[in-house]
Amino acid sequence: MLVRINAIALNTFREAIRHRILYLLLIFAVAMISFAQILSLLTVGSEEKIIKDFGLASIDIFGVLTAVFIGIGLVSREIERRTVYTLLAKPLHRFEFILGKFAGLSLTLLVNTAVMAVWFFLVLLLKGMFDWRLLIAVLLLYFQFLLITAMAVLFSCLSTPILASVMTLALYAIGHLLWSLDLLAARLTAGWGKLVCRALYFVLPNLGTFDIKGEVVHGLAIDGTRVLWAAAYLALYGSATLWTACAVFERKELQ
Amino acid sequence: MAARAAVRDPRRRMALCAATGLLLAAVVQGRLEGSRGSNALHPLLYLPSGKYLRVMSLGFEELAADVLYLWSIQYYGNYDIKDRYGYLQHIYGQVITELDPHYLDPYLVGAMIMAVEARQPEMALRLLDKGVENNPDKWIMAFEAGFLCYNDLHDYRRAAYYFKKAIEVPGAHPLVRRLYAEMHNRAGDKRTSLREWSEIYRTSDDPYVRNVAWNHVHDLKVDVDVADLQDMVSRFRDRAGRAPRRLRDLVAGGVAGALPADPEGREYLYDPRTGDVRYRGGLVLGR
Repeated sequence: MLVRINAIALNTFREAIRHRILYLLLIFAVAMISFAQILSLLTVGSEEKIIKDFGLASIDIFGVLTAVFIGIGLVSREIERRTVYTLLAKPLHRFEFILGKFAGLSLTLLVNTAVMAVWFFLVLLLKGMFDWRLLIAVLLLYFQFLLITAMAVLFSCLSTPILASVMTLALYAIGHLLWSLDLLAARLTAGWGKLVCRALYFVLPNLGTFDIKGEVVHGLAIDGTRVLWAAAYLALYGSATLWTACAVFERKELQ
Repeated sequence: MAARAAVRDPRRRMALCAATGLLLAAVVQGRLEGSRGSNALHPLLYLPSGKYLRVMSLGFEELAADVLYLWSIQYYGNYDIKDRYGYLQHIYGQVITELDPHYLDPYLVGAMIMAVEARQPEMALRLLDKGVENNPDKWIMAFEAGFLCYNDLHDYRRAAYYFKKAIEVPGAHPLVRRLYAEMHNRAGDKRTSLREWSEIYRTSDDPYVRNVAWNHVHDLKVDVDVADLQDMVSRFRDRAGRAPRRLRDLVAGGVAGALPADPEGREYLYDPRTGDVRYRGGLVLGR
């Protein structure tokens, strides 16, 4: 099974690195990280904060865009090009196909994030502003990309690329707004409304779990177990999303 | 010839049209900027509160705060805009610092613009109060508030209140303690000032600081001792119906337990005719 997943993953990776959008996003990210240096000249103080904020935000934004725009076409493009029939005619389970696709994009994102991070750290090292805790922030951002990739794969199985991208981006927005749902639940008196708010708070993906940009940039304390909890959340929520995608793809009628 | 060839080629013609369109758009934009005038209010001034912007920023609150702070520096630094201080409280107090409560520069720079440029020190203090509340581990916020009260408002008691807050934060600059001690002196509380300067003298390892502290301790001790002795003379007069002939009479008359010596270990001078107590040396700081 692992050999088959591995083969699909490597093929997906090869396909993804030929994608023009990947390079376009990468160039934009590198340009934005570099641009932060020029922007920091306009400020009074806080040069370091601005460079770090822009760098981490660039990695975040362009990583998410890569996950969404490549992720949404992973399954639908194979169906559209009819290459999926050739693949599934071989001794390959449908779930292996989905897991392989996910693994391939995860590898692409790893390379993508590493390139952005190396450039970012290089800029910081040259300016003498490097902080090891930034590595943790980037690692958690990568975890977030993996969860978004899982969601993109699920929507790619369910719908057309355009609709899948809209739904994935909507879930990304919701994932960063969940704290407001928690606030709303706290304001409501006990009842159905509060119960629904609490249920949604735990059911929807909480992407705030992977966001420690502010803490790292401001040098605030970070809980030592934060990365472990985030990894556990990713493993559980991500696998639940992927198994749902597998189940959807198993039932999908391919004509 | 080359120009004619370029016009005949359809692709070049299209590129030429696009370039012309862009150029004209830039000219129109320039005219728009000109017609708007430098006194027109910037649209960013109408931003909603940072509480709502936090929701809209989708996890990029710090980046949004950076962008708005950068804009505010350019906007408030533009002396061509005459009435640019109308929304200071909103931009710094309710937008930028709500988006990123741990971002120190907007508090410090915002307070400086409010106090120095807009002449609104109370507004600046409100912003710094918020900074102290959101960043209790940063002494600089309370220090800036204290310095504003000292330098601009000449409200030394309030300055002492803020400097005390600053020195309670671990890692506060030693200068804050000196300012705290001095504020009590300026507020007329020489005893507390003497106690604080004595403590600085006792605990500092820096010879320069010890020298400065000693000068303050010297003069304050003289002031406090003279005031105490003068008070004892008055009490003696009330009790005995006459002024003491010499200072030792204060001890004999039960008004004082012991007489304070001056910083050099000598007795203070006393004039029985006027009842005045004086220091026989000169003050170091000459205040």
